[in-house]
Amino acid sequence: MDVELTVNGRRRHVDADPCRLLVRTLREDLGLTGTNVGCLTGDCGACTVEIDGQTAKSCSVLTGSAAGSEITTLEGVAGPDGELDAVQRIFWEEFAFQCGYCLPGMILVTEELLRREGEITDADITLALNGNLCRCTGYMPILRAVRRCVDEARAGAGSAGVTEHQEPA
Amino acid sequence: MSAPTTVRPAGPDGIIGRRSRKVGGDELLTGRVRYLDDHRPTGTLHAVVVRSDQAHARIDGIDATAARAMPGVQLVLDGRQAAELSGPIPYFIDPAARGGRRVDIRCLAVDTTVFVGQPVAAVVATTRAEAEAAAAAVRIRSTPLPHVLDAVEALRPDAPRVYDEWPDNVVFAKKYGIGDVDAALAAADVVVTEELHIARTTTAPMEPRGYLASWDPADETLTVHAACQNPHQMRWMLSASLGLDETRIRIVTTTVGGSFGLKMQGHPEETLIALLSQQLGRPVKWVEDRRECFMAGAREQVHRITVGATRDGRILGLRNAIVADTGALSAQPGWAMPNMSATTLPSGYAVQACDIQLQVVATNKPSLNAARGFGKDAAHFVMERIVDVLARRLGMDPAEIRRRNFVGPDEMPYRTSTGLNIDSGDFPGLLDKTLAALDYDALRERQRQARDQGRHLGIGLAFELTPESSDGPGTFVSGFDTTTVRMSVTGSVTVLTGVTTPGGGNDTGIAQIVAQELGVPIGTIRVIQGDTDQCPNGFGNFSGRSMVVGGGSAALAARDVRAKIVAVAARMLSVDPDDLDVDEGIVTSRTDPATTVPVAEVAITLLTRAFAIAKDIEPVLESTRAFMPGNIDHTPDEHGRIQPYPTYSSCLHGAVVEVDPDTGKVTLVDYVMTHDCGTMINPSLVEGQATGAIVMGLGTALSEQLVFDDDGALLSDRFKSYLLMRAGDLPELRMVHQVTPSPFTVHGNKGAGEAGIGGAQAAVANAVEDALSPFGVTVRRIPLTPPEVLRVLDEAAVVSS
Repeated sequence: MDVELTVNGRRRHVDADPCRLLVRTLREDLGLTGTNVGCLTGDCGACTVEIDGQTAKSCSVLTGSAAGSEITTLEGVAGPDGELDAVQRIFWEEFAFQCGYCLPGMILVTEELLRREGEITDADITLALNGNLCRCTGYMPILRAVRRCVDEARAGAGSAGVTEHQEPA
Repeated sequence: MSAPTTVRPAGPDGIIGRRSRKVGGDELLTGRVRYLDDHRPTGTLHAVVVRSDQAHARIDGIDATAARAMPGVQLVLDGRQAAELSGPIPYFIDPAARGGRRVDIRCLAVDTTVFVGQPVAAVVATTRAEAEAAAAAVRIRSTPLPHVLDAVEALRPDAPRVYDEWPDNVVFAKKYGIGDVDAALAAADVVVTEELHIARTTTAPMEPRGYLASWDPADETLTVHAACQNPHQMRWMLSASLGLDETRIRIVTTTVGGSFGLKMQGHPEETLIALLSQQLGRPVKWVEDRRECFMAGAREQVHRITVGATRDGRILGLRNAIVADTGALSAQPGWAMPNMSATTLPSGYAVQACDIQLQVVATNKPSLNAARGFGKDAAHFVMERIVDVLARRLGMDPAEIRRRNFVGPDEMPYRTSTGLNIDSGDFPGLLDKTLAALDYDALRERQRQARDQGRHLGIGLAFELTPESSDGPGTFVSGFDTTTVRMSVTGSVTVLTGVTTPGGGNDTGIAQIVAQELGVPIGTIRVIQGDTDQCPNGFGNFSGRSMVVGGGSAALAARDVRAKIVAVAARMLSVDPDDLDVDEGIVTSRTDPATTVPVAEVAITLLTRAFAIAKDIEPVLESTRAFMPGNIDHTPDEHGRIQPYPTYSSCLHGAVVEVDPDTGKVTLVDYVMTHDCGTMINPSLVEGQATGAIVMGLGTALSEQLVFDDDGALLSDRFKSYLLMRAGDLPELRMVHQVTPSPFTVHGNKGAGEAGIGGAQAAVANAVEDALSPFGVTVRRIPLTPPEVLRVLDEAAVVSS
C-alpha cells in the first residue's frame, strides 16, 4: 500500500505493508537510521520520533496509522545546514550522552517539553524523561541539560514564558 | 627517539584536565553516526538464530525441510553442518590454562544443549522477517536430560552434570590469601558470619550486540563490522575457528551503543555469522533482539563470610567461601570474573590473614558474560556488608570502624593478603570528604528525628577499591596497548590506537592527551579506533585500561612526533631545539617569542623539502609506541601470588534511603560518591562514567534481577520485567573528587569507569539495614525489591519472636 508521510519537512511515499512498524519504515525504507531500535516493546525510547507534534515510540506505531502525518526524527532537529539547535548544543556542553543510542528519545522529548506553556518544574522534567532509558550517564547530566534548556528557552522567550527557575542568560 | 623539549604538567591550564566536549558529539546528536544495524550494504542477507528450548537435552535431529521451503530463505545451517565447516572458538581466557576445566565451544550446539537459548541452528533469508518466520519453522527433536539451575545445588554429589564428561560441575576452584586465619579468628574478641547472596543481573546496554560479515569470494577475505570491544581478539578468534589466515580478516568496530562488558569477544554468533557469509558469498547481518540480549549474565554469587575483630573494631582475619554461578561455559571471559571477587578482598582494609576459597560452578543457565565491575563489585558488596554487621555487633559507628581498618596513605604501595599491590590512595581522606558532603552528624540527628515520627531513614557507607588495567599472562587480557600518532603534510594528526570506546569517550580523552603532548589544537586531531586494518595491534576496551594504556601510549607516540617537529623547526628558525616550545600548533622560541613557525609549515617542509632543510633527519612524522605501566609483576612471590594490576582507583559511597516497612519500598533520598582515579584527563568524562556505574549498581541493588522458571527459561526478558533505574527513581547523585596520582602511569591517571557498581550495592544494602535497624533486620540478599524487604522484615519478626 502506498503510504504518504511528511518526514523532516519532506513529503515521502513508501510502498509498505500498513502493519509494518513505523521504526522499520523509517530506518529501512527511508534510510533514516538516526532512530534506533532498543527493545521493540515500547520501554526504552531509543526509537522516539515526533508525530504531528507529539513524541511517540515508533516501535509501537504502525506505518499505516501514521499515514498523512508529519514526522520529525532526530535527523530533523538540526537546521538545514546541520547547525545544532539549542537543545543539541546544550546536551553536548553538559555531557548529556555517552554512546548516544538514547538520544532520539532524550532530544525529542526535551523539544516537546520546551513547547509546553507555563512553568516547567523539575518534576515535569523527570516525568518527561522517565519513558526513556539510558544505561551510560546515570541520567544526572541529562537532567542538568534539560533544566538548562528550559531555563535558557524561558529567558530567551521574554517575560511571557519566564518562570521562577529562570536565570538571566 | 629523544625526549620532548617540554611537557607542561597536567592541570587546569593544560589541555589535560579540561572538560573538553566529546569528539564527534555533533554526529551523535544529529543521528549521523552509524551503529552496527545502520550499516546496510546492498544485497545484505539477514540471519536469525534458532535456540534451544531445553535447559539440557540431547539433540536427536533438526528438521529444517519446512523452513528451507519458506519465502526468501537462502540457507539453514545446523550444528553438525557447522562443525564440519568450523572449529571450536578459542577462549578469551582459557579456564584450562588456569588449572580449571574446559569444553569445546562451538558456534552451534552439535549433540547436546546445555541451556535454554543456546544456538542450535541459523536461518538466513532475504529479510529479517522472512528469517524469523523460517526460524520458527525449524523443528528440533531432542531428549530432555536432567538439569540444574542453582550453583549450590550443582555442587551436591548427586547433582545432574552440565557436562557429561566432567566428574562434577566445578569449572574452577582456587584458594586465595595468606596468613593464619584460624589463629586470627581464635584471637578475636568478636567473630561474625553471614551468608550473602548477589542475584543474577545483566549489563543491558541500549544497543544489543550485532555483526555484519562480508565474505569476498574473489580475494577470499572476510570483513566483519561489529558492535564489539576487542576487534583484534575477534580477528584472532575468527582466524582460529574458521581456519583463516589473520591477514585475510578485517574487523571494523562500528559506533557502539554501550557495552559494559557485553561486547567483549567469544560469543558464538561472531563465528556463526562469518561462517554464514562464507557459505553464501554475500554480506550477512545478525542483530540480537532484546530477549537474546537479556540472556547474558553479569554476576550471581553466594558468599559465606566470617571476620574476627578486636573489641575496638580492628579486623584480624577473614574467611570467605564463594560459590559463583557461571551458567554454561562460553568462550567469552565472563567465567573468570569471580576470580576478581576473591582477589579484591579484603579491599582497602589492612587484614593480613585471609582465606578465600572460590568455586566457579557450571549450571544449565545462559553463560556469565563479562560485565562492568568484573567480579570486583561482589567483593565490595560482601566486605562492606560484613564490616557493617561487625560495627553493629560492636556498637560502633560504621564510619569509625572503616577508619580504624583502612590501609593508611603512608603505607602505599600496600601488598594485600591476596597479593595485590595497591599503588596509591588516601582512603581516610575519601571517608572525610563523604561524611562532610553528607553532613553526617546532622544526618544522624535527622534520622533520629525521623524515627521519632515513625519514618525509617537509613544511612549506608561503602568503600570501593577498583583494581584496573589488568594483565593476564598468556591471555588477551593485556596490561599494555599501542598507539600510532601520524602527522600529515598539512599538519593534521591521525591517532590510531588499539583501544576502543563503547561510548564512554576515551577517544576524547586520547585526543586531549595528544593535543597537549604534541602541542596542536584538539580540532586538528582525528582518533581512529577499532579497525584491525588501520590500527596497530591492540586489545580494545576492558578493565578501565583505555586511558591508562591507550592514553599512555598515545602520549609516548605524540612526544616522539613533537621531538621531530622541534628538531626540524630548530633548523628552519636557526635556533637551539631546547629553546623551542610547541603549543596550539605553533612552534615558538622561549627566548624570543617573536620567532615562531606553525607546526603545519614544519610538517610540509620536512615532508617536501627534506633534502634541502634536514638531510640528516629521517622524514617521518609518525611514531608507534606501546605503554607498559609499572606495578605489574608476574614473578610469583614465595606464596605464588602475582600482581596483575598497575592502578587501584578508590571511592567512598554514602547512600541515604527511606524505607516504607508496610510496602517494602526503598526510596533513595541522597547519594554522595567521593571518587579518586588519580589525575583526571577529563573530569566530565570521569563523572559520566562513575555516575553511570553508580546507577547500574543502584539498579542491581534495588530492582534488577534475571529470573528463570524451573525449566531454565528466562522470565525477565524485557524491560517491563527487568527493571532498570529511570530518571525518576533517583535523587541528585553528588560527586566529590580526590586526586592521588598513580606513580605508575604516564599522567598519574588510574583506571576509571568500573567503580560504582559494588559500592552502590553495598551502600544501599547498608542503608536499608540501617533504616530498618529498629526491627533488627539483617540484609543478606540483593536486589532489595519490595517483596525482598518485606521478607527480611518477616524474617526478623520470626527471629525476634
